[in-house]
Amino acid sequence: MKIGKLLRAKMGTSSYEKVQSEERANNQKALQTINQIKEHVKHMSDVVLKDIATVEGIVTIIHCSSLVENMTMQNMIFTPLANHLNQIHQDAEVIDSTDTEKIVSNIVVGHTLLYFHRKNLLLSMDTFSVSTRAISTSEVESTVMGPQDSFTESLQTNISLIKRRIQNPKLKNEDRIIGTETNTKMSILYMEHIVNQENLEKVKSRIDKLDYPGYPDISILKQLIEDNPLSPFPQFYMTVKPDTAMHYLLDGRIVILMDNSQEVVICPTSFFEMFVSIEDYYNRWTTTSLLRMLRFGGFFLTIMMTPMYISTLTFHPEILPYELLVNLQESRSKVPFSPLLEVLFIELIIEVLREAGSRMPAKVGQTIGIVGGIVIGTAAVEAGLVSNILVVLVAISALLSFLSPTFVMSNTSRFIRYIFILSAGLFGLFGQMLAFAWLISHLLIINSLDTPFMTPIIPRKASDLLNSLIRFPTSYLKEKMGISRAQKK
Amino acid sequence: MNTDKRKVLNGYHVVFLAQNLIIGTGLLSLPQKISAVGYSQWMLPIVFGIMATITLWPMIWINSKYPQENLFSINEKVLGKWMGKIVNSLFIVYFVFILASLIDNYMLLMQTTALAEHSITLPIVFFLLVLVYIVNGGIKSIARFCIMSFFLTILLLFFLRWSIEKGELSHIFPLFNFNWTELEGAMRKGFMSILGYELIMVYFPYIISQKKAFKHTVIGVWISITIYFITTLVSVMYYSEWQLKHIDYSVLNLLKAGNLSFVERIDVLGVTLWIFLVLSTTAGYLWASKKSLESLLSKSKHYHSYILVAAVFLVMMIPIEREYKEKLFENIFYVSFLMILWPLFLIVVHLIKKKQVR
Repeated sequence: MKIGKLLRAKMGTSSYEKVQSEERANNQKALQTINQIKEHVKHMSDVVLKDIATVEGIVTIIHCSSLVENMTMQNMIFTPLANHLNQIHQDAEVIDSTDTEKIVSNIVVGHTLLYFHRKNLLLSMDTFSVSTRAISTSEVESTVMGPQDSFTESLQTNISLIKRRIQNPKLKNEDRIIGTETNTKMSILYMEHIVNQENLEKVKSRIDKLDYPGYPDISILKQLIEDNPLSPFPQFYMTVKPDTAMHYLLDGRIVILMDNSQEVVICPTSFFEMFVSIEDYYNRWTTTSLLRMLRFGGFFLTIMMTPMYISTLTFHPEILPYELLVNLQESRSKVPFSPLLEVLFIELIIEVLREAGSRMPAKVGQTIGIVGGIVIGTAAVEAGLVSNILVVLVAISALLSFLSPTFVMSNTSRFIRYIFILSAGLFGLFGQMLAFAWLISHLLIINSLDTPFMTPIIPRKASDLLNSLIRFPTSYLKEKMGISRAQKK
Repeated sequence: MNTDKRKVLNGYHVVFLAQNLIIGTGLLSLPQKISAVGYSQWMLPIVFGIMATITLWPMIWINSKYPQENLFSINEKVLGKWMGKIVNSLFIVYFVFILASLIDNYMLLMQTTALAEHSITLPIVFFLLVLVYIVNGGIKSIARFCIMSFFLTILLLFFLRWSIEKGELSHIFPLFNFNWTELEGAMRKGFMSILGYELIMVYFPYIISQKKAFKHTVIGVWISITIYFITTLVSVMYYSEWQLKHIDYSVLNLLKAGNLSFVERIDVLGVTLWIFLVLSTTAGYLWASKKSLESLLSKSKHYHSYILVAAVFLVMMIPIEREYKEKLFENIFYVSFLMILWPLFLIVVHLIKKKQVR
């Protein structure tokens, strides 16, 4: 502060004529610079240029009004300019007034530029302030127990949500700017002393190699850096819950955050972890074990149930006991289609209902329940388009597909089911088992950050079994999971 | 992570590779094949196990002399380049035929039980496609697939419960109730069903702890032998001697000895689930033949497995009489004995060469 005062005192002492001639020369230069900047921001209507008279002569203020809030301008620029100019000199960064590239790039990221005409001095202040959403509970990933806060679309808020949970200097976050057109900020979080360095290098190099114009959401980034982009399975976990992110950070995983996206990516993750919710650790171990078996078994049931209907009725009716077969055939007696067509018909209807339900405005959404449940369900059976039993099976398998806590995985199970339906329609149980063998071998081949995706089943570590289908009481879960390949102490 | 990219197989991989390459369709008809010795057949799996362990030893020995080489490059090194290449191309032919016979055997069974009145040409095509998919993932993915198929199919043992309940354990007596020719016939037919472990000669260079390879393979072999032993024992308990001789695929009938309220014919489920075992066995052979082709052309390409699979398909589709075909496929299995004895021959040549160098 003192230096600022001294500086101004010195300037005050210079003789009037000298100042006059200097000012004229400076004016020439200043006009040139200002005009240059004006030229660059010609078609950016939200860039505001304002001349303000201060004790140090005229100052031109340039900022992008859509990225800076009025309050911030008032607090950080106008008030100091009028009262404590030295504060500005202290806070701001000096930039070269001839480097127009840099000047413009400073404006578009929300900085405010102050041009002091008399001194031909250009200062830049970070005044980026846009309105953000408040932290609220998650609607995509709701839990009954545990913390209810969820990530927002602001990178800073998201990092703060994690850092307030892990107050440890060893939690590192490395920032990157990605998107050749958008210059989006992103951050890689990890625990320095736990994370596997090889994994970290892989993530970094994969991100650095990217050449993609822009990322509306982190899921695009995820698809670009996953090991096997052709696979229908997601290989990295996505979550909106900071407690999940924290849990995996402590296990030695890498968390990737991106500005403007609510979800964060956790890698590497195994197939089994796609069926794990953070709530599993809040529940009693007995309940959790039951739920995990249900979810994991549910995935295989949901892709097997309707194909089974097709293959038994088309190829192997002898597989069913007489009473059950009679029951099935009776309910199917009015249906004029082959089981394959019947199943495809009702599955596609469910798909349409689901898609319509998610696209419809919330207020109209209620109708979908009535239309779907009563009109299509009951009426289709009564009209003899589908059989009763099939409606039951399809409804159950549709519900089962939502058991997985990861939404992408439940979408995958929808897709996989069609492969099974078609193969069952082609070759019956043989086709189904062939498809199953393909599924298993596919899951065994794909990797997540070069670690096998099926990790606990292909064991890397015996202690993983304590935290698999059966989750042992928390006091047993001391070891890190095998897939994170954490550093040894 | 290993610095050497070729070494990918851990101990448990080796165990399950050995275990699952053995069990294919052979198990389904094993009790019938060795029925010449009557009720004493329950002892034969143990004899097979011992024989396998003994014949395994020279395989490991010759491989440990060339720890970086597989069977085919050993052939080239020991027999000379040209002789080796000729032998390797014979191996390819052998592998193609054995693959054709394995798949043909299974597909016929499939046709009789699950896909009655359907053509099996298209199923074969799809089967081969899945097979190529597994093989192109490399030996490690085959090993992983073996582990999965072991755990998926081991559940079938549970269905033996009812046959044990209904069976009679005293059937195992009297012991040694057969003559020499009967034993010889049973051995000859039955030993085919434990073939598969000889492929260790091909995947040996990929094993991380090669010193323990013998132990791990023996463990794998004996897991399979235990399964064989259990099935033959239960068959002996459940069937009469006449039935043992005349029921095709009698193991399938064991599965449906019980009554479940929701499934009538478990054997259909069993046969279709068996595809895992057949896939893992054939994947091993296809991979071996791919390696053999690679050593012949001295480069490695994914489309090699497609070429081989096309050859297998053509062999299966040869329009000749069923009887001839069966004869052909049966005789291919006798060639397998040659493959079991092949390392002995290699050892002899190897030792002679060594002496000459001295």
